[in-house]
Amino acid sequence: MIKESLSDMRYNWVHIVLFLAPILIIVLVLIGMIVWTGAVSMDKWVGMAPVWQFNGLQNYATLFRMERFWGALQNNLIWMVAFIIPSAMLGLLLAYGLTLSGRAESLFRPLFLYPLALSFVVTGTLWAWLYDPEAGVINNILKSVGLGGLGQPWIADPRQATFCLIGAAIWQYTGFAMTLYLAAIRDIPGEIFEAAKVDGASDIQIFRHVVVPNVTQATLVTTAMLTIFSLKVFDLVWVITFGGPGTSTEVLGFFMFVATYRQAFVGLGAAISVIILILAIAVVVPYAWWSMKRLQT
Amino acid sequence: MFTGKKGMAVLGLLVIASMVLTACGPAPTPEVVEKVVKETVVVKEEVQVEVTKVVEKEVVVTATPPPPAPVAKELTVYHWWTAGGEKQAMDVIFKHFSAANPDIKIVDNPVAGGGGITLKTVMQGMLAAKMPPDTFQSLSGSELKMYVDGAYLEPVDDVWKANNLDTNYPAVINKMVTFNGKKYGIPMNAHRANWLFYNVPLFEELGLEPPTNVDELITVAKTIKAQKPDVSPIALGSRDKWTAIFLFDVVLLSEGGPDVYEKFYTGQLDVATDPTIKAAFEKYKALIPYLYPYHGAKIWSDIPPLLGEGKVGMMVIGDFAAAQLVQAGYVEGKDWEAVGFPQEPEEVFLMIVDTFTRPVGIKHPEANTAWLSNLADPDTQAEFNIIKGSIAIHKDVPDTNYPDDLHQRASAAFKGKRIVPASAHGALAPQNFLSDWQDILTRFLYTGDVDAALDQTSLVMTSYDVAGQSEWYWAK
Repeated sequence: MIKESLSDMRYNWVHIVLFLAPILIIVLVLIGMIVWTGAVSMDKWVGMAPVWQFNGLQNYATLFRMERFWGALQNNLIWMVAFIIPSAMLGLLLAYGLTLSGRAESLFRPLFLYPLALSFVVTGTLWAWLYDPEAGVINNILKSVGLGGLGQPWIADPRQATFCLIGAAIWQYTGFAMTLYLAAIRDIPGEIFEAAKVDGASDIQIFRHVVVPNVTQATLVTTAMLTIFSLKVFDLVWVITFGGPGTSTEVLGFFMFVATYRQAFVGLGAAISVIILILAIAVVVPYAWWSMKRLQT
Repeated sequence: MFTGKKGMAVLGLLVIASMVLTACGPAPTPEVVEKVVKETVVVKEEVQVEVTKVVEKEVVVTATPPPPAPVAKELTVYHWWTAGGEKQAMDVIFKHFSAANPDIKIVDNPVAGGGGITLKTVMQGMLAAKMPPDTFQSLSGSELKMYVDGAYLEPVDDVWKANNLDTNYPAVINKMVTFNGKKYGIPMNAHRANWLFYNVPLFEELGLEPPTNVDELITVAKTIKAQKPDVSPIALGSRDKWTAIFLFDVVLLSEGGPDVYEKFYTGQLDVATDPTIKAAFEKYKALIPYLYPYHGAKIWSDIPPLLGEGKVGMMVIGDFAAAQLVQAGYVEGKDWEAVGFPQEPEEVFLMIVDTFTRPVGIKHPEANTAWLSNLADPDTQAEFNIIKGSIAIHKDVPDTNYPDDLHQRASAAFKGKRIVPASAHGALAPQNFLSDWQDILTRFLYTGDVDAALDQTSLVMTSYDVAGQSEWYWAK
């Protein structure tokens, strides 16, 4: 019965169009925007109004000559390394911890997820205050436990500022990684755990030999998504340091906004967007290819 | 539906595809134009299958209101006066406008973001989409020029002439709204950027006089540092970046005077070789040891309370800091005082001017004319500026209009001293240069590398053609 009605539907084009229309419209608009951005990136657009004067790859050439571009790119790469690895590892540890905690899980899980529900502006404002070298929470806590000597200038120091931003992002995104890992751990057949326990494995041994090898899929999803986040990070930088001190915490997204809206170098800004897109694709395509292959087997 | 590892892979692909697509649209407009609302819905435990599903949705909410229906009597206003006192000040303008034009309905669209950073982004979109509001706020000078260059503005010479503003406004303001021989905005208030605020009890205790030039500033700072090691002699909040320009500007005015100042910001000097600019950077460097050490973590409004408390000795900022001090309960003359700075070689009024405009293709031109005329009215300006914390630019508003000493002195300086457009916020120097300039200066506050700063400044000046962009300032 069900099979028949399904085959009826296959030929009902009205239904197909009706149900696919929303996603088609969304995808077309997005693709349209990408194409438009690509076109603008090859345009001589400087100033508020469009210029529409073909400029070839000149904007890209200008960009590659700018020290500022390489600085921003370097910061994005720092983000990738210093943000993704700790977030994923902490997420996995928390997920396993929650699995072990039994009933307490339902209490703790939302607690770790709450930061994800906050807007970046709220997180940014909050962390800017935590990091304040004088009035901030971190240095004052250190002081109150007699460790005032460990106090740092945090965001007031160009060498530390990017890592401070990454700290805030880790706080916000660990819960996200945790959720993905939690799902992956739930996916591991219970018999494996039981068998390991019967064999006398400790929790740590189970983590190493049962959990870690069985969550590679989740690791890939988590890493890919955190990579994309770290490529398009903008809000935290804008709110906490505004790219400063100097330009020490600028990332590509921030540079793009400043170039486009503050400086009206719209063509240049579009070129930066295209580079962010290319970087994102470079991360996602291998992942997509790999998962498709896996789906087929 | 999605179970097991396959499910995870499919879900992951979908989410990633949506993230990539949203990542690569045109440059994001993060503050007010669009809000990206992230929502993570955790769907837990179906009956038999133990799977946790994470569905991440990105919902884009466009905050720009739809274009207003063409009502005969209506005025759509976009501005950035949203902070406490600013909103009340705007209400004064509305009050005067409605009294004179009871049949016109005001559609108020405040866009938060100091100095109009966000409004500019919103305007760029609305104007490009040919959906102009009936009037919007801009700063006079190079920022206004950006809209004129985009052919987004109509001249307002009719209002200018009808209100006799050639006589009633200072000549420099005339210059700051004139492009290609036509007027493109009606200004109505001026902020003074070159105030040196200082803590009175500290100065009295140490027997100090407020400095009149940058050398004295350094001497005073030295004394404070020697006698009160816990007090930071000079403070700024460079997380805002533009505050670094305010401080540099007074140093430059002290070293070179207003002529050099105007020439520098309009690209008339060869920065790489000019001795005055180098000297200014050297003096700026000499201030670094006396600065509040954590300036990179503070914004400008964090500083006035520290000054009131006596944790910092001095700060260079616009008159808008006075409101912060008063609100925090510190009394002018007793707890803090401000002097125009520098007074040598010449005391000037370093000015930031707010302006309203007439966009091309608006629906209610008569309402726009009525709005602009109301702004040029001395009575509106008098009442508005008391609340706004700036001063009126119409010469009929007397110095005694203002209840506090600081603004009375500002008004007197406005009438008696030379007026120079401030560089910060795009009154004088072009926007694209300013953005890099504030980065160069904040970086310099950490490195103190004069040669590198001169090189970078010179490079930006030439590659952005600051001289060409600033021709309007020297046009006869």
